[in-house]
Amino acid sequence: MLELVQASTYAASIDNLILFIGIIVGVWFLLAEGLFFWLIWKFRAKPGEKSQYLVGNEKHVKRWITIPHALVLVCDVFIVVGAVRVWYNVKQQLPEPDSVIRVTGQQWAWTFQHPGADNELDTSDDIFTVNDLHVEVEKTYHFKLESRDVLHSFSVPVFRLKQDAIPGRSITGWFEPTLIGEYDVQCAEICGIGHGVMAARIHIDDANTHAAWISSASAATTP
Amino acid sequence: MMVRLPIAGKTLLLPLLLIGAAACDATPPPVGMERGAELYETCAPCHGDAGSGNVDIAAPSIAGLPQWYVEDQLRGFQNEYRGDHAEDLPGLRMRPMAVSLTREGDVESVAQFVASLDAVYPESTLHGNAGLGAASYAVCVACHGEDGLGNADLHSPPIVQLDDWYLLNQLRNYKKGARGARPDDVWGATMRVNSLVLTDEAMQDVIAYVQTLR
Repeated sequence: MLELVQASTYAASIDNLILFIGIIVGVWFLLAEGLFFWLIWKFRAKPGEKSQYLVGNEKHVKRWITIPHALVLVCDVFIVVGAVRVWYNVKQQLPEPDSVIRVTGQQWAWTFQHPGADNELDTSDDIFTVNDLHVEVEKTYHFKLESRDVLHSFSVPVFRLKQDAIPGRSITGWFEPTLIGEYDVQCAEICGIGHGVMAARIHIDDANTHAAWISSASAATTP
Repeated sequence: MMVRLPIAGKTLLLPLLLIGAAACDATPPPVGMERGAELYETCAPCHGDAGSGNVDIAAPSIAGLPQWYVEDQLRGFQNEYRGDHAEDLPGLRMRPMAVSLTREGDVESVAQFVASLDAVYPESTLHGNAGLGAASYAVCVACHGEDGLGNADLHSPPIVQLDDWYLLNQLRNYKKGARGARPDDVWGATMRVNSLVLTDEAMQDVIAYVQTLR
């Protein structure tokens, strides 16, 4: 069995939306293909029967287009409503943060700036790491995403998080980890010859472990 | 939270693996110059076809550097004691390139190819005082030699053929701990100690002196 880890508060809502769209589209796909092949079989060539030329503007013929079309539009409304709700939750609103980090993409590495023991970013005790992001489980984080050179995309698959990094801009987003563990971070925007190996790790720890990491890293890290 | 999809993953993956295995050539790639030339195609966009470097993207000239030195540096990048500091941007670019050399013998092959390229002695771009730098260089002689040609036994590279801007960047990296600060970087640690006493001006002076040794 394939396992999909959901490690953020909004991962399930994105998965459910994709599943919802998949089911709707899948049902219509099976219906359409089933009807298509049934009609091919039903109206197959038979000895002594001439084929008919249909213009397609008779009411009983047009029904085969207009009714499914209307039903598909109704389904579209459900999909749009679901998508907008998820989009608003993930991208349009910013819950109050417990902590703020800075994520910087550059060819071909991720640099992470963590607040130190004072939990304030851009102070002297900030902790800088390359390709290793440390966060605490069940805390809300704002990230300030930047790029030093070209377009990158900060992607954390287990969070279902993907956000482009654009040179010259600082983009704020958020996440709240829900599972302790170590997971992949990747670049999801082709950014040059090293794009494929621009990978990092996110370490999600409990409060004690995270505090211990801050203590040990504060002593060793220089800006 | 774990979500289990009702898809038999192994069943789907097996045919893909079989197709992949059939498409791959099972024989290991050759080791040596031929393989090195093939691998160097990945290096050429930054370091140039002739290995002469590109100052605009902080890619140094590497042509003709000793094989042992190129191997050393590639392993340093692979082991993360080079190119693992937030302020070492060129190093951060280089590290994934080194990490992508995963097959046995690849590091040796590409290093052999780089060593075979005609050495380039890049033009000076800095304006240090070579006279003042000569005094500072007395400390460097023990490892890099009076002629700046280095010493393989001490893992000291031939600095006479390195770009002056590259040398300055590396001295600054050593001083701020972006290089030579990791316990596993034994030879880098030696260099870091010596960089700590140099001001930025003194660094440029000693580099200017190194340029006169060519």
